[in-house]
Amino acid sequence: MKGAKRIIKKELARVFKDKKLIFTMFIMPAILMFAIYGLIGTLMKSMNSDITEHRDVVTIVNAPASFKETVKATGYDVMASVAYTDASSYTTNKSQYRDDVENGALDLLVVFDEDFDEAFNAYAKNGDRIPSIDVFYNSTENYSSKAHNVFNTLVANSYRQALQTVRFGDLERLEVFSVNEELIEKEAKKGTEFLSTMLPYMIVIMLFSSAMGLTVDAIAGEKERGTLASMLLAPISRTEIVVGKLVSLSIISTLSALVYCVSMIFAMPMMQEGMGAGGVNLSFIGIDTGLMLLATIVLMNLLFVSLISAVSICAKDTKTASSLIAPMYIVVIMAGVMTMFAGGSEMAIWKYAIPVYGNALVVQQICSGEPQLGSFLATIVGLVAAIAILVGLTSKAFNSEKIMFNA
Amino acid sequence: MIVIKDLTKIYKLSNKKKAELKTKDSEKVAVNGVSLEAHPGEIYGLLGPNGAGKTTTLRCVATLLKPTKGEITVCGFDSVKEGKKVRDKISFLTNEIKLDPHFSASYMFDFFGGLHGIDEEVLANRKADFFKRFDILDFQDKKIEDLSTGMKQKAAIAVSLVHDPEVIIFDEPTNGLDIITARVVTDFLRELRDAGKTIIVSTHIMSEAQKLCDRIGMIIDGKKVAEGTLEELLESESAEDLEDAFFKVYKRIKGEDKIS
Repeated sequence: MKGAKRIIKKELARVFKDKKLIFTMFIMPAILMFAIYGLIGTLMKSMNSDITEHRDVVTIVNAPASFKETVKATGYDVMASVAYTDASSYTTNKSQYRDDVENGALDLLVVFDEDFDEAFNAYAKNGDRIPSIDVFYNSTENYSSKAHNVFNTLVANSYRQALQTVRFGDLERLEVFSVNEELIEKEAKKGTEFLSTMLPYMIVIMLFSSAMGLTVDAIAGEKERGTLASMLLAPISRTEIVVGKLVSLSIISTLSALVYCVSMIFAMPMMQEGMGAGGVNLSFIGIDTGLMLLATIVLMNLLFVSLISAVSICAKDTKTASSLIAPMYIVVIMAGVMTMFAGGSEMAIWKYAIPVYGNALVVQQICSGEPQLGSFLATIVGLVAAIAILVGLTSKAFNSEKIMFNA
Repeated sequence: MIVIKDLTKIYKLSNKKKAELKTKDSEKVAVNGVSLEAHPGEIYGLLGPNGAGKTTTLRCVATLLKPTKGEITVCGFDSVKEGKKVRDKISFLTNEIKLDPHFSASYMFDFFGGLHGIDEEVLANRKADFFKRFDILDFQDKKIEDLSTGMKQKAAIAVSLVHDPEVIIFDEPTNGLDIITARVVTDFLRELRDAGKTIIVSTHIMSEAQKLCDRIGMIIDGKKVAEGTLEELLESESAEDLEDAFFKVYKRIKGEDKIS
C-alpha cells in the first residue's frame, strides 16, 4: 500500500499547501458560524430587552375601586401607562379601541362588566352569575403579548386572590392541598436536548456537504481533466488508487466538518444567551463517548466519500456527477430529519446498522449522555460493510475501460 | 520490445454512441487483427487517418484497454495478466492524459518517481538532468495550470520518463505544439532511440513520420495494410514520398471515389 500512502500525501498537500483552500475550508466556516450565531444572539438580545423595557399602554374600562387598589398595590400603574375610562365613552369608541389593539397603538384593553361589584356581592349559590373581565390583546404584536402576560400573572391573579379573601377569609381552605415538586435529573443529561436533537442532523448534513464538493472534484473532475488516467499508468493496483483517494478525501472533509460542528457548538451559547436560554451542556463528552463519537463521524464521512466517489467515477463529468448526487443529499437530509423525531422509543438493534439513519441515532444517543455499546457496535458494523461494498464497486469502476475511457 | 499478435478490439456501442456514429450496429471493430513488432533501438510509426485505430492500439499496449482478441507483450510481460509490470516498463504520452494542474512539474516528477519506487538520489539527479534538457528549470515550481501548452507538454514528457522506461509510447507526439517545441520532442525521441529504447508513435502527419520513423505500419479501418521502412514502402508502392505511398494504399483499400 505504498502507492496509496503517496497518493494520500499528494491529496493532502493539494489542500494544505494552498492557503486559499485552507482559508475557505477550515477558517471561513468557523468565522461564519461565530458571526452568524453572534449576530442572531445580539439581535435577539436587543429585541428582548426592547420588549422588556417597553411601557405597556393599557386601557381599563369600568374598573371597580377594589381593582384600582390592586393596581396600585402591585405597582402596575408605575410599570404600565394605565388609562381608566367609563362605559359610555367605551361604547361610543368601541371599534376605535379594537382598531388600536389591532394596529399596535394600544397594547391591552381590559373591560369589566358594568355591574362587576354588584354581581360579585350578589353571588350566593352555584349557578348564580359570576362577573367577568374581557381582555383584548394582539398576539402578533410582541408588546401586546407581553402586556397580556404581565396583566394576567401580576394584576388579574392578585385581584382574584384579593376577592377570594373577601369571600372566603381563609385562602388555605380553598387551596385544600399543596404540591411540592423536586426535579431529579442526571447531571449529564441536563441541557442536552438541543444538542441531541440538532447535532446528529447537523453532523450528517455538514459531513455530506463538505465531502460533496471535494470528492466530486477529486474524482469526476480529475477524470474529466484527464489527470486520473495518468495515475492509472503508474505501476500500482487500481485498489491502491481508490484507497489513497478515499482516505485522503475523508481526512480533509472530516476535518472541515469537525471545524463546522465544533465552531457551531461553541458559537451556539452566543445565540442562546440572546434567547435567554441556558448554555450547551458538553459534559457528555468523556474519553469513551468522545472516541465513540469520533469513530462514528469518521466512518460516516468515509461512507459519504465512498458513496460520492462511486457515483462520481461513473459520471462523465463534474456536472453530471453533481446532478446525480443532489438527490442523495436530499435522502441524507431526510434521514437526518427523521432522527429528530425518533428519539425516546425502543428500537430493534439492527436499525442502528442502517447507514446514515442508524448512525445519526447513535450520535443522538451519545449527545444525550446515554451511549449504548450495542447500538454503537451495530452502527460500526453497518458502516464498515457499506464502505467495503462501495470501495469494491469503485475499484471495479476504476478497472472498467468503459467507465474510465468511455470505450 | 513490443510484440502485438493478432490484436482485435471491439467496442460495444451504447444507444447514444450509435446515434453519434449514425449506425445501427451494436458493436464497432476499432482494431481488427493487427500484428506488429517494435524493437529496441527503433522508432516504429503507426500511420493512419483519424479513427483508424491507432490510439486504441496504443492504449491496449499501455494496459489501459484490454484486447478483445489477441495478445500483447511488452519486454516479455503480458499486457493483461502482468499489467503492473508492463506499466513499470513503459512511458505513455497522449493528449488526453494530463498532469494534475494544481501541482508543479517538480512535485509531479517526485510524485510519479515515488509511485515507480525510484531511489531518491537517482530521482534528484534525473530531475536535474531532464529539467535542464527540456528547459523546465525556470518554471519547475510553478503550478502546471499556469504553464503554456508547450511548457505543459515538456513537463509531461519529463514526468513520463521519470522511471527511465525501456519502452516509450507516444500518441500524436507533436499534436498542438509549436514547431520549436515539436522539434525538441522529435530530437529527444531520436536520442532515446539511439540509447536503445523501443519507441512507438502514432501520427497522421506524413512529413513527421517520414523524418522520424525507422519503420512504419499503415493502419486503415483497424487493419494493418502495409508495413516497412520508408524505402521499402516507397519502392513497393512506386511512390515519391510517404504521402504519395499512403494515398496509393488508401485508394486500393477504400476505392478511388473515397478520396475526392
